[in-house]
Amino acid sequence: MPSVNPAGAFDPEAARARLAEARGPIFWRSLEELIDSEGFHRWLSEHHPRLAETFDIDRRGFLKFLGASVALAGLSGCGRPPQRQIVPYVHAPVGQVDGLPRFFASTLIREGYAQGVLVESRMGRPTKIEGNPQHPASLGATDIFAQAAVLQLWDPDRSQGVLYRGDAASWDDFAAALAESNARFDRDGGAGLRLLTGAITSPTLSAQLDALLRKYPQAHWHVHQAAGNDNAASGTKLAFGMPLSTRLNLNRAQVIVALDADFLSDPAAGVRYARDFVGRRSPESASATMNRLYVVESTPSLTGAAADHRLPLESGQIEHFTLQLAKRLGLAVDVRDGVLQQTQWLDALAADLQGNRGVSLIVVGATQPPWMHALGHALNFALGNVGVTIDYSEPVEKLPGDNGTLTDLTTAMGAGLVDTLLVLDANPAYDAPVDLQFAAALKQVPHLLHLGLYCDETGAMAEWHLPLAHQLEAWSDARAYDGSVSISQPLIAPLYEGRSTHEVLAALLGDEVSEGHALVRRQWQQQLPDDAAWDTALQTGVIADTALAVRTVALRADALVHTAPNAAEMNPLELLFRPDPTIGDGRWANNGWLQELPKPLTQLTWDNAVLISPLLAAQHQLVNGDLIELRVGQRTLQVPVWLMPGQAPRSLTLHLGYGRRRAGHVGDGQGFDAYALRSASALWTAPDVQLRKTGQRYELAGTQQHFNMEGRDLLRVGTLADYRHDPHFATASDRYPGTPPSLYPEYPPGEYAWGMSIDLNACIGCKACTIACQAENNIPVVGKDQVRRGREMHWIRVDRYYEGQAENPRIHAQPVPCMMCEHAPCELVCPVDATVHDSEGLNVQVYNRCVGTRFCSNNCPYKVRRFNFLQYVDDSIETLKAQRNPEVTVRRRGVMEKCTYCIQRIETAHIEADKASSRIQDGEVLTACQAVCPTQAIRFGDIADARSEVAQAKASPRNYVMLSELNTRPRTSYLARLRNPNPALPDI
Amino acid sequence: MTQLFRKDFGFLFRLGVLGVFATAMVAVFLWRAVMAYPAGVNEPLEQPVPFSHKHHVTDEGIDCRYCHSSVETSAFAGMPPLSTCMTCHSQLFTDQPALAPLISAFQSDVSLRWQRVHDLPDFVYFNHSIHIAKGVGCASCHGQVDQMPLTWRVAPLTMQWCLDCHRSPEQYLRPRDQVFNLRWQAKDQRALGAQLLLTYHIDKRRLTECSVCHR
Repeated sequence: MPSVNPAGAFDPEAARARLAEARGPIFWRSLEELIDSEGFHRWLSEHHPRLAETFDIDRRGFLKFLGASVALAGLSGCGRPPQRQIVPYVHAPVGQVDGLPRFFASTLIREGYAQGVLVESRMGRPTKIEGNPQHPASLGATDIFAQAAVLQLWDPDRSQGVLYRGDAASWDDFAAALAESNARFDRDGGAGLRLLTGAITSPTLSAQLDALLRKYPQAHWHVHQAAGNDNAASGTKLAFGMPLSTRLNLNRAQVIVALDADFLSDPAAGVRYARDFVGRRSPESASATMNRLYVVESTPSLTGAAADHRLPLESGQIEHFTLQLAKRLGLAVDVRDGVLQQTQWLDALAADLQGNRGVSLIVVGATQPPWMHALGHALNFALGNVGVTIDYSEPVEKLPGDNGTLTDLTTAMGAGLVDTLLVLDANPAYDAPVDLQFAAALKQVPHLLHLGLYCDETGAMAEWHLPLAHQLEAWSDARAYDGSVSISQPLIAPLYEGRSTHEVLAALLGDEVSEGHALVRRQWQQQLPDDAAWDTALQTGVIADTALAVRTVALRADALVHTAPNAAEMNPLELLFRPDPTIGDGRWANNGWLQELPKPLTQLTWDNAVLISPLLAAQHQLVNGDLIELRVGQRTLQVPVWLMPGQAPRSLTLHLGYGRRRAGHVGDGQGFDAYALRSASALWTAPDVQLRKTGQRYELAGTQQHFNMEGRDLLRVGTLADYRHDPHFATASDRYPGTPPSLYPEYPPGEYAWGMSIDLNACIGCKACTIACQAENNIPVVGKDQVRRGREMHWIRVDRYYEGQAENPRIHAQPVPCMMCEHAPCELVCPVDATVHDSEGLNVQVYNRCVGTRFCSNNCPYKVRRFNFLQYVDDSIETLKAQRNPEVTVRRRGVMEKCTYCIQRIETAHIEADKASSRIQDGEVLTACQAVCPTQAIRFGDIADARSEVAQAKASPRNYVMLSELNTRPRTSYLARLRNPNPALPDI
Repeated sequence: MTQLFRKDFGFLFRLGVLGVFATAMVAVFLWRAVMAYPAGVNEPLEQPVPFSHKHHVTDEGIDCRYCHSSVETSAFAGMPPLSTCMTCHSQLFTDQPALAPLISAFQSDVSLRWQRVHDLPDFVYFNHSIHIAKGVGCASCHGQVDQMPLTWRVAPLTMQWCLDCHRSPEQYLRPRDQVFNLRWQAKDQRALGAQLLLTYHIDKRRLTECSVCHR
């Protein structure tokens, strides 16, 4: 299909002109909308009229289809209900009540670090993940990856059995082969034995590795994490002479400076950091004043979107910026003047930091070089922040010894020193830097053993591929960002032949204990001697008092000597590599929920693209979807372009994780392989990249135009000063303040009045709500082609808005579930009463009545209704059925659906309360989106009860509803967003 | 001017209308026959073991909840695990051929497959525990199970049938302590029902709302 150029190339002048003539704030979602060209409107009405495209048909053909449709219409309804069976247990599991869910505390491990979770188990099937309120990294919330873990468990593409050179084998075959090589290792002390793992914090695994390296002193252990945090460890080595873990206390920080640091998406502690950060941003709380966040970054991130002041700078420029800042704060650094124009920024920032000594915080990102991290530590020392807003402890991760990197391993493999390589849950054949030629070197290894969840790129090359048990199938343990240990307990016996890393290592060790539970139990025998202590640790999900102690550290005298800034002259263009926001370094590529989740900020699904600044795009006459060729050294890659407002002008960003060749049915062939350009010496930034326009186009599936609300006043944002001046600023622009009279009758009040409040000041746009809702409500994945037609099914979408100039806009996020209007326009137009009001204020959708006219969707001003245009729900794959929530109807083709405020959870609480003839207590019903929210932005409850949390939130002067002039009286309302800009800086 | 219609047009027209009507009737009957439950009302289903509620309840006096143990706490009343059967049948009638499938299932750890007698569409969320708590007796829906040598359905389980009670539950309510008594009869159901509506805090307005049963 020839693609349509959306609106012609981006014209920065037109954009500026439009903003200059605007009165009041202008919020926009895409550059095409900003310049508001004729072409955009034409393109929009052509591409997203929320109608399927019509196809050419003559009169005769039309009549034929009509006749056939009528004749066949009845047939689809035919068929008697199946005679179904009940299969009781032979022996009932202890403590289970049939039909009631049970929750087990466990641990999900993300890039080595523990995320405490509660796993919902329904009749033995893990179906949903919730955060564990007692776990320090969770506090009851989770990130998107924890939510998606349950789909990963049930993924039919997972590796299901042992493979020997690609042929089916068994664990016994493997044990026999292992016995042979073990005999050899016993003789030569493990010479030629190498292990490769990802980041490890598990005490059990650490102990096993230590035992292995003791038993086989000639063996080596290497760590490879494609998007790891090695720079931070090296930074503390520079600053303090030893590797240390850094812990941020954002709840104590008043002024925060993030230097290319996306701490809100931190794999280890992002969820906790988000809570701590937002905890100091409420203007209503009397105790704390609102913090201020400065972000200097090259490519927009969630943290950048949360910033009060954001400065886009190329990666190399950030180094200069930091040095200039250090000089202004009195550090002895070597600075070249005249490189940066941002003196006003630097002066204001330095003054703000000086004024908040001891309660400020400098955070340096994982993509910055080690000396920048050391400089960051020095700055925190100079500002007196250490011990208040930042703490240090022994490393949480187990660090390999010398020569423990992937590069060292490749060198050894090239030299023929590696006889047996055991790869534990890593995929270096895909995600190793391209210049290492790792896959080629792997072919020289006589015995490659691969333990993985999927038979991926590495598994396909292995002599032995071993299926890894999923985290929900195996015993393990891990440390959280602060060192707290939690146990991972299996929720289900392995679906396939999977075994855990502990079990495989025990086999390699010849351990007399071979079974996962016994291995983990033995590790904790001393701390948890009796079964009662062990059970308590399992039930709470954390082993008490295992957080690593805070260490007092001293800055080395030569901490800053290593400072070596890049040459002052600018790189022509730089290419940044970043882990993908939804599929990480590629390990989540086969997860449909994560693939279809519109990526925060870009709103792209199913693909990656190279993000470029609008200015650069204008220079090269590029529009979204143009295929360009990137050249780094001798290597090239063709990849489509996506214009990213707020991107540093000379930075290009490419997300890792796509272009998988052996991910599975979902992930194979999606997107473009960024690793093809990534070299070991330039892991995060390739300093010199050339781009060439190919003239070809590539269809991307972005959702930023879907459900367009035609520029209405949906988002209310003000500054702290605005709020102090007029707390009711958010509703000042309402056309009809208060509640205007209505022609429609009022519903009599019911027992409860359910309502929701979404605090835009707390929302960071992480989209955990979208994916939690998907997991809870059996929402199907529709695929890239359907997303392009605007048919994604997410019940709660997170709109992303820009405000201001395209070079550096403010970025806002707004979650939009069903508004549950009291006077709902959808209800009036349904010809079959499939969407009706209930006495508690819910606008309910009755699937079994719906005939699919879609009138309701057309009449919904908020565009929150979703229609099953096709049979989206997979009804053939058995394991996917096992994941679904039995409390929610699985919708079929031709049925409208939408957010229900998690009515299944309301009804469950209702029934329990009714049985006891009591009332549902406030906080007893948590919707899925509310429960998962890291910042507690979503509140839900009975708005008729003035003491309820939601009623109190709605009493805030910042409260407003969308499209109040329509008088639909939504039950979902918003709290306006506030920013806290520095008066000394221009507020752009 | 020629006649627009033939003379016998009126007759043919009536015949046509009748034909359409008859076809529609046939279609409706056919549809109902096809869409009916696999086993009709009052038709016993063949089970892997000819389990008799009559024997267990009437002769032996076993309470409903001995086997259907989650009926007071869960949506699902619970089907007894085979180990429950074996509490008695490891000793009693172990050599009866009718019990052979049970014994072998228990020994081989592969469970029996009972044929469902009461089944609802997947978009209906019936909850046993709330009905028990509000004084709806087992017999109100399941009939005189204590008289059934094989189990059958006594109610159509249609939405109309559900709504009959949801619209006016006072016709069927009984004191909580009589819920499991299959032979209980009210002396004056109207007076008792009205009184129980108040005692058990039953909000009749909400009972006919879609969201109560469909989600």
